Amino acid sequence: MFKHRANFMGRINGMLMFLPYLVLLVMFAIVPIVMAASVSMEKSMTNPDGLFGNYLFVLQDFRFLPAVINVSLFLLIYLPAMLIVVAGLSLLLDSIQSRYTVPLRLAYLVPAGITGSVAILVWYFMLEPTYSPFAPIFAEFGWTQGTDIFNASNLIYIFALMTFFTGAGNWIVIQYGSLQSIPDDVLEAARIDGANAFQIAFQIKLPLIRKYLIYMLILVMAAGLQIFVEPYLISSSVYPGIAKDWSLNQLGYTLAFLGSNLGAATALSLMLLLVMVVLALIVIFRTDFFDEAKTKIKEA
Amino acid sequence: MKKKFLGSLALAGALVLSACSGGATSDGGGGDSGASSGDSAGARELLIWVDTVREPACLSYQESVAGEIDVTCEVVGQEEILPKIQLSNQTGQGWPDVVFSPPNSAAIYAEESNGYAMNLSDYVDPAIFEAYNTSNDWCLIDGSYYCLKNDLAQTVLWYDTVIFDELGLTVPTTMEEFAATALELQGTGYMAGAVGDQGYYAGYLWPSGCPMADVQDPATVRINPDAPECTRVSDLMQPLVDAGVVDSRSAFDAGFIADVAQQTKVAMQIGPSWWGEFVIRPPDSWAVPEGRITAAEMPTWDGESTAWSGEWGGGIWVASSHAVNPQDAADAAVYLATDPDMREDKVTFPGYQPAFEKWAARVGADPYYAADPTVAMVAQAARIRQDNNPVRFDMRGQIGVLQTEINGGATLEDATRTFMQTLIELAPGVGYTVVD
Amino acid sequence: MVANQVTRSRRPRNIQASAIPGKAAAWIVMVLFALFSVIPMTWLLLAPSKTQPQLQADPPMSFGSFQGYVDAWNNLMLFQDGRLVTWLLNSIWYTGFQVVVASAVAILAGYALAATRMPLRKSMLITTLIAMIVPQVAFVLPLFVEITALGIYDTAWAIILPGTFFPFGVFLSYIYFSTTIPHDLYDAARIDGSGDWGVFFRVALPLSRGLIGMLAFFSFQVNWINFFLPYLVVNSGEVLTLPVGLGILFSSTPALNPQVGANVLPIRGPEIALAGLLVAIPILLVFLASSRLLVRGVLAGSVKS
Repeated sequence: MFKHRANFMGRINGMLMFLPYLVLLVMFAIVPIVMAASVSMEKSMTNPDGLFGNYLFVLQDFRFLPAVINVSLFLLIYLPAMLIVVAGLSLLLDSIQSRYTVPLRLAYLVPAGITGSVAILVWYFMLEPTYSPFAPIFAEFGWTQGTDIFNASNLIYIFALMTFFTGAGNWIVIQYGSLQSIPDDVLEAARIDGANAFQIAFQIKLPLIRKYLIYMLILVMAAGLQIFVEPYLISSSVYPGIAKDWSLNQLGYTLAFLGSNLGAATALSLMLLLVMVVLALIVIFRTDFFDEAKTKIKEA
Repeated sequence: MKKKFLGSLALAGALVLSACSGGATSDGGGGDSGASSGDSAGARELLIWVDTVREPACLSYQESVAGEIDVTCEVVGQEEILPKIQLSNQTGQGWPDVVFSPPNSAAIYAEESNGYAMNLSDYVDPAIFEAYNTSNDWCLIDGSYYCLKNDLAQTVLWYDTVIFDELGLTVPTTMEEFAATALELQGTGYMAGAVGDQGYYAGYLWPSGCPMADVQDPATVRINPDAPECTRVSDLMQPLVDAGVVDSRSAFDAGFIADVAQQTKVAMQIGPSWWGEFVIRPPDSWAVPEGRITAAEMPTWDGESTAWSGEWGGGIWVASSHAVNPQDAADAAVYLATDPDMREDKVTFPGYQPAFEKWAARVGADPYYAADPTVAMVAQAARIRQDNNPVRFDMRGQIGVLQTEINGGATLEDATRTFMQTLIELAPGVGYTVVD
Repeated sequence: MVANQVTRSRRPRNIQASAIPGKAAAWIVMVLFALFSVIPMTWLLLAPSKTQPQLQADPPMSFGSFQGYVDAWNNLMLFQDGRLVTWLLNSIWYTGFQVVVASAVAILAGYALAATRMPLRKSMLITTLIAMIVPQVAFVLPLFVEITALGIYDTAWAIILPGTFFPFGVFLSYIYFSTTIPHDLYDAARIDGSGDWGVFFRVALPLSRGLIGMLAFFSFQVNWINFFLPYLVVNSGEVLTLPVGLGILFSSTPALNPQVGANVLPIRGPEIALAGLLVAIPILLVFLASSRLLVRGVLAGSVKS
């Protein structure tokens, strides 16, 4: 009897504690999606039947495919760079256990603030030969003008550089943290077996943090697909037109506010969101990533 | 069961909110909450959006009506004006009462489904329009004036008299002569300007008559990259770029300014009427010394009877149809576009005759110029080629793409084709049929 | 996992004397990357001390003068009468509010998932996991539609409220409460007669200093630099935040684009660098202060190996 009441109160109290978050979840995740879906299906010039006209319009828009290609190529450079550098440097940091790596770790955290609009600012000056501290290096490659570096074919590399620069450092520190949680006995055993530093790094440590690295890649890829600020700002102020409608989100913005077509813009937005959700579902249900987290629910 | 209940609760909530959102996507019409909240009894308010260069003008207006009208001057980037107005249309609020806008958007604002622009013919004294002569024709859409031209940015041929004397050059009067003169600069270290910016569109393609936005009627536009008026431009200019006498960078490019312009190596340049005051002269910019620069009339293209000009800029003042006090908005637009005293020391060429006269008097008498540049400007003011018109798609954004292509090293022909091809793709989305 | 972290040994993990050249190479690589990380920020710190001509002519890493900072600041104040300060204050109070609310909501929700008998825990967890992987940017246009409908367009709330939705925080909190605090502790408190709320306030909360730190850190970082959403849902300059304000400075001043008002506003390279510093420094400080938190293993326990 007491337990039954405790159960009931437990459920009520639990619901009350969860309620504020639930309200926010509904308000700022669910409702916007429903409303956007409704807007994307409204009748308009590009959607005369009131069904999926906007979706078709977006898929056939002459800027859609280039934007998909741009973002894909960008990720193709950015993700491997992140993987290699983050894995490599965190392993290096971990193999050289010395208090002198502390300033290094702090140094790697410094770029974290240089993101979004600040990234454009800083990288404009870092890449423009007239201002850049790297100008002598650029000169070696024959780059002496701003337009040698800032041109349409280099955009993929420039944006990859910007996002890599901001993210790599703090992920190195985070992965280093994950490496710390590897039990010493495992490493001790390997050392006793005669493994050298390389072998320990690649055959023992790397597999043990493989999950964390993949998790990082997924988060980073999800954010990368949505890139907007950097190409938008560089194209609207610094080099007008250089990256016009370069990314998918920019296309959405253009459709909504330069083309007066909010229906098409929300259609694009929802398609992108769908891709993200599918990605998330694959991670959650098709990998064993979050299994521990999920099973804890049962235990409680 | 609980799951279904919560699920339907969320859905119900969402549907309720969607139903209330009826106003979210209707444009213009509903909910006329203009930016000025002007209570009828209290002070009247005006919100004016300007760019940095026009902010002083706005502030002087603010001062002149202080006490009667509460004016707020908000600086907004020119690239953002159009999307912000569209944003206001979507949300039904937040329109500025007056805005200084890039000229290409005029047709977009005047269009019924957008509805932002006030029909100025209703609120402005006809004498004002008359005093513009033809200079405000860009704003004449469907028989009414929907904006006031802030300035005319007609292109003229700027040249350095000292360099011309030194090399024994004569001022070209045809485009063929222009090309020949430019080629004579080869090896001298002097250049005939830069084309990696809006100047190529405004100073070459437009005067040549290349059909980029030739509006035949509200549903038809002529865009033809194969037209001889387009191909002759790249045919003429590409050899000059290849010879290194015309720069493919922008005239504002830091490298160009440092290596060429500030070294006083620009012998001639087709540029707009504000080029002298805004680009050539200021110490932060080209800093060309006194007594060298003047402007001549545009060179004529082969087969043309007029030495046509294009326009680089020539912003417009638009008043909001949603303004709470429309007369106030219209009056502000008139002041900002035309006030002779206020315009006298500005860098741009006023289209309004009385303001122009004061400005020309100042500039013409200015010892900075080797000879009075306003003579050529006046001649060109009436020669802005009329077959390039405001269109309903985002022309301005695409001009930026043209510039990027040229900067990136594409041939002028390829760059122009890419540019015009995107125009052809954009036009149907706003209801145009494209013809040759 | 926590136990391991606490008793992490200080023994060198696997250095052998014969690996000296390898060690040197490792140090070189690490130091080079550290330099690469630090140079741009250093440049940013030094830039406002110079004048525009000095920025171009002097060596990039040189120091100008302290007066340079003062001049740069004064010039920045010329833009719309000190609009920069408004942006800065907005950023501070919006982000502060978001951090407090988001963290509080996340702690409660995570605790509810971990330690109470609330219904539908599994579905709510899955929903949170999905929302965690999908970045907020994906929701921006739909949020714009909703915010307009709600009538809070162009107000501070349009920026603040969406930022209080913090699924990653709920997840962190859930993991924390289910792994860090042993169940016996909960049971003991319950036997003593405390209800869920009692257990929360008397047992869970006092032990969650690490969690609160992490929640504050992540919600601060994500909300401070947010650009896309504020840019869309607010039109008035006075309501905007500093990152968006920086974007406005790009397009309205000659700092990066000389075509804009070159002789009207003295806002050039040094001034815009100073504005950029105002955006970047708070994040830098927060990251540096939280470095230990990050090293301790944010992921450990959440994504099990």
